[in-house]
Amino acid sequence: MLRIPGRITKTCEGLSRRDLMRVGGASLLGLNLPQFLQWKAQAAETGVSALKGAKGFDTAKSVLMVFLQGGPSHVDIWDPKPDAPLNIRGEFKSIKTKIPGTHIGEHMPMMADQLDKCTLIRSMSYTPNGLFNHTAAIYQMLTGYPPDKVSPSGQLEPPSPADFPTAGSHIAKRKPPVGPVLPFVELPRPLQESGVIGKGGAAGFLGKAYDPYRLYQDPNKPIQLDDLTLRKEIPPQRLKDRFELLKGINGSMPDLEKALDSYAIDEYYGKAYDLVLSGKARDAFDLEKESEKTRDRYGRTTFGQGLLLSRRLIESGTRFVQMNWPAVANGNAEVDSWDTHAANFGPLKNLHCPVLDRSLSALLEDMSQRGLLKDTLVVAVGEFGRSPRIGVSTSGNANAPDGRDHWPYCYSAIVAGCGIGAGQQYGESDQTASSPKDKPVHPNDLLATVYYALGIDPDTTIYNHLNQPRELVKGKPVTGLWA
Amino acid sequence: MKPLHLLLCLALPAAAADSVTFLRDVAPILNKVGCTSGPCHGAAKGKNGFKLSLRGYDPEFNYQALLYDLGGRRFNRADPAQSLMLAKPTQAVPHGGGLRLEPGSAYYQTIFNWIAQGVPYGAPTKDGIASIEMQPASLELAKPEESQQIKVVAHFLDGAVRDVTKEAVIASNIPDVADVSNDAVVKGLRIGEATMLVRYEGKFGTIPVTVLNPKPGFAWKSLPQNNYIDQFIDAKLKRLKIQPTAAADDATFLRRVTEDLTGQAPTPAEVKAFLASPNRPALIDNLLARKTYVDHFTLKWGDLLQNSRKFLGDKATWEFREWLRDSVASNKRYDQFVRELLTARGSTTDNPAANYYRATRDPKPTMEKTTQLFLGVRMVCTQCHDHPFERWTQNQYYEMTSFFSTVGIRPGFESGEEILFDKRDDYDIRHPKDDRVMKPKFLVGSATPLPDDANRRQAFAEWITAKENPFFAKSMANRMWSYFLGKGIIDPVDDIRASNPPTNEALLEALTKDFKDHDYDMKHLIRTIVNSRAYQAGIQVNEWSATDNINFSHAIPRRLNAEQLMDALTQATGVRPDFPEVPEDTRAEEFPDPHVGKDGFLDLFGRPQRETPAEGERKTDLSLPQALNLVNGKSISDSIGGPNGRIAKAMIAGATDKALIEELYMATLSRVPTPGELDKGITYLRAGDSRAARAQDLLWALVNSKAFLYNR
Repeated sequence: MLRIPGRITKTCEGLSRRDLMRVGGASLLGLNLPQFLQWKAQAAETGVSALKGAKGFDTAKSVLMVFLQGGPSHVDIWDPKPDAPLNIRGEFKSIKTKIPGTHIGEHMPMMADQLDKCTLIRSMSYTPNGLFNHTAAIYQMLTGYPPDKVSPSGQLEPPSPADFPTAGSHIAKRKPPVGPVLPFVELPRPLQESGVIGKGGAAGFLGKAYDPYRLYQDPNKPIQLDDLTLRKEIPPQRLKDRFELLKGINGSMPDLEKALDSYAIDEYYGKAYDLVLSGKARDAFDLEKESEKTRDRYGRTTFGQGLLLSRRLIESGTRFVQMNWPAVANGNAEVDSWDTHAANFGPLKNLHCPVLDRSLSALLEDMSQRGLLKDTLVVAVGEFGRSPRIGVSTSGNANAPDGRDHWPYCYSAIVAGCGIGAGQQYGESDQTASSPKDKPVHPNDLLATVYYALGIDPDTTIYNHLNQPRELVKGKPVTGLWA
Repeated sequence: MKPLHLLLCLALPAAAADSVTFLRDVAPILNKVGCTSGPCHGAAKGKNGFKLSLRGYDPEFNYQALLYDLGGRRFNRADPAQSLMLAKPTQAVPHGGGLRLEPGSAYYQTIFNWIAQGVPYGAPTKDGIASIEMQPASLELAKPEESQQIKVVAHFLDGAVRDVTKEAVIASNIPDVADVSNDAVVKGLRIGEATMLVRYEGKFGTIPVTVLNPKPGFAWKSLPQNNYIDQFIDAKLKRLKIQPTAAADDATFLRRVTEDLTGQAPTPAEVKAFLASPNRPALIDNLLARKTYVDHFTLKWGDLLQNSRKFLGDKATWEFREWLRDSVASNKRYDQFVRELLTARGSTTDNPAANYYRATRDPKPTMEKTTQLFLGVRMVCTQCHDHPFERWTQNQYYEMTSFFSTVGIRPGFESGEEILFDKRDDYDIRHPKDDRVMKPKFLVGSATPLPDDANRRQAFAEWITAKENPFFAKSMANRMWSYFLGKGIIDPVDDIRASNPPTNEALLEALTKDFKDHDYDMKHLIRTIVNSRAYQAGIQVNEWSATDNINFSHAIPRRLNAEQLMDALTQATGVRPDFPEVPEDTRAEEFPDPHVGKDGFLDLFGRPQRETPAEGERKTDLSLPQALNLVNGKSISDSIGGPNGRIAKAMIAGATDKALIEELYMATLSRVPTPGELDKGITYLRAGDSRAARAQDLLWALVNSKAFLYNR
């Protein structure tokens, strides 16, 4: 299996453990041990990942992570429980969808019509260590590690260079895209809870070089791109002249060229040159190139135009796009945060659901029509769901009588693309949507699935800033999605 | 379930067996067959209700667990084969861990006999291990593909000797150079060096393995040796058949040593002066006396000691920086410097050294930081379990921590000030396993715990800075070496342990001894290193050194760090970027902490945020966003075209084409252009409408060149 070369002697857990875990992971591929070992030996000889050819492995060229920060109420949106008592099922009715037998909340009619293009996971679940506030949960979702692994006080620490890298950073490092494109773009605003901004959304110990390209602007307005736009005083010919000069200077010192050969400097410069000159990335950010009809279909909102922009970036070749829900988790549902402690039903009905429904359904429809779903993995998920019981406190926060609190034990996710079952429901929750009834999916499993789809072995050893070996993610890919 | 009686026929008579003890005979088997491994019963919570200590680091715990958990049901002395301890691993009864022991095997028989003999623990003074011996002590393989058997022998405290090759755990630290098979045969895979790490019952050993280059025709060409460093380097290179590279030319040396000692690039005037009279030792002494030397090493100490207003507030950050500057400027002896930090008391305003304790306020992180910084030893693993590849134990973690548990911090009189004091009570450190109070005890050296009335920090400071301390001088010599040669003789520099051996032990020992003999004189250490031919070597490689990157046979280019790069750009363009937090003329190398210019150029280029005391926090790789910034960034573009910049001034002064190009080369690459470069430059300047714009293009290309971005 894929192993990143490095010193192997420093683990806190021992040498043979990884090997044992590799073997343990093999059962999921339907192999017995000797077969697995044989496969592994072959893989080691050929230098090809042992997972090559496994179902779903390496099917995605890019990933669009629609991160619904704030914690959307799964019971009201994706997993209605019409037979549960009123204080659980809430005010909303449920409606039929394109998946036979699967109903969703009544305020998601357009999604109901597009559900045949994706899989609805209803068994997302994990049990956090200690408090489960947003930052801790976001960090868990996107890095694969609970924040107490990096800061003793846990969740309200600001981002630190010792943090575990966010998924997009790992991917930008391991699977750099070819051609003049940005590897990893995050928009339209950072992950945030109160004063803690960007935790779980940075490259952490990989170094800032792998941070996302942060486009923190409202895509519903014209976008400014200074660093991707050739400077006024430098017309294209002048940049070309400059690069010619540069080539000459570098070329005059062949010993240095040779010594730095493995550092890929010319590649980075070549990419930077192409990016600035080709305007390809800049074009990707130009929503004026879309028809009015398409723009309307996505919705003239920050979220809607952000998803459209995300699609354009994916088309341009960006490896990982992270589109964050554009309102922060601050408990104020009136500014359309998903964090509906103070009021759940009114805001969901009037603010959140119409936006999510229109834009996400437009994305699936559009990407499907353009054939982009063939090799793009789309994931739409929040950091947790919301308490099935209305008006109770589960996280220590105060809740209005019609509010719902944080609920990481059971929630839903939408996944689509790269061969994942279209029109499928994966997993099921119990009668009150409180815990998965079957096929639980830990956030780490979801992350492992993302890596796996991109052809990155989830069981890869990474090295932190102290050069200690760590697991890329402690999870198993949900291969059942490709059923 | 298999019927148990099937096994009975396999049981051999126990009467004739040698006496067997847990310590000497059984514990190694449990480790070897995997019972105590991390995924099995060695896991933090055990497995299926049965917990053993990880990799058997606590044999007594394991013995107790076997004996008394489950009400002693693991043994049937009358009929040993029926014991769960044999029935489980042989899968006579279902075992989650699968088949671990073949019935009737030698291991099976040993455990059988042990049970039959009444499960004796053994006497730690007799059955314990005095040492393990590796045979051979070191290994040279004449070429890749050659292999050789190695042997591990245990010496017990009662004098007994036993071949434990089979039970020892042996692994290679660089398996693609030399690997080891399950039956302890070492095989060379490619030219280079690796170390076999041997572990047996809490004892560790190493076997250095060299895979020699079999290519014929190597003829050693002697190069001048500038000091003892080169003797040790050459001795090793000669043995490995690696031909070192001669010292780099004067201009290259000037740039390299000026960047390394002062964090600045030489000015055109300095380039001219040095090339006219290239006295290297004199230049080194001159650089060591500069203010920029003080800034450069203050920056390094600021990183390591986590000087940041996040921990200290604005005022104390500047105060601590001044204290560090004074220490560097006065060439404070290293032991004195560390003693002052560790024993600091009182107000942080009066005694800024006391800020040492403010970034890590609790005893545990303070202990981890202190050992990592000043000993190069990482204790962090041992907070939860004994170190897997080192001799450090969990007990030692807490014993060492208790040296720092008396440190008290209370608010001072002014804002931004705090007061360090020694607590008189409520400072006990307890072991997490059994809650016993851990008394302070040194990691190595004195075996007796500290007397109760001793000042713990004082005692610690004396111990750590003592010349007998095996790590203190060594770790600094090694760290300093890495600043100039790009990597430590032990690398990473803050991870010294038996399983991370030095690439040139004799050299490191010599450097360490020299550092001690000169009473921890930092400038002496630096001067010795940068005067060596090894430091001054060129980056060129030859057919014999092409694959070597650990023996310092040639120089390896290093990207200028963030602050160096910004200052080099300032000097090249003549325009200093503006930072409102600091006075106008402040160089990036002088910034007090990473809050100046946060999230800008410096952070993009890998400035550490000072969140940890690890050297690894500083990044010097190159990436796409960085290239984008250098190619098209606003600040670089503005600097190159600045109205008060180098080019604007040269235009106003009416510099000739030749003078202009020479100045640009000297201001960027610290050398004069070759005649060819000069010609090309002149042609370029004259080819366009605007001479200034053409000159800007040339400057742009120079600062984007590898020779500028890298210290080479």
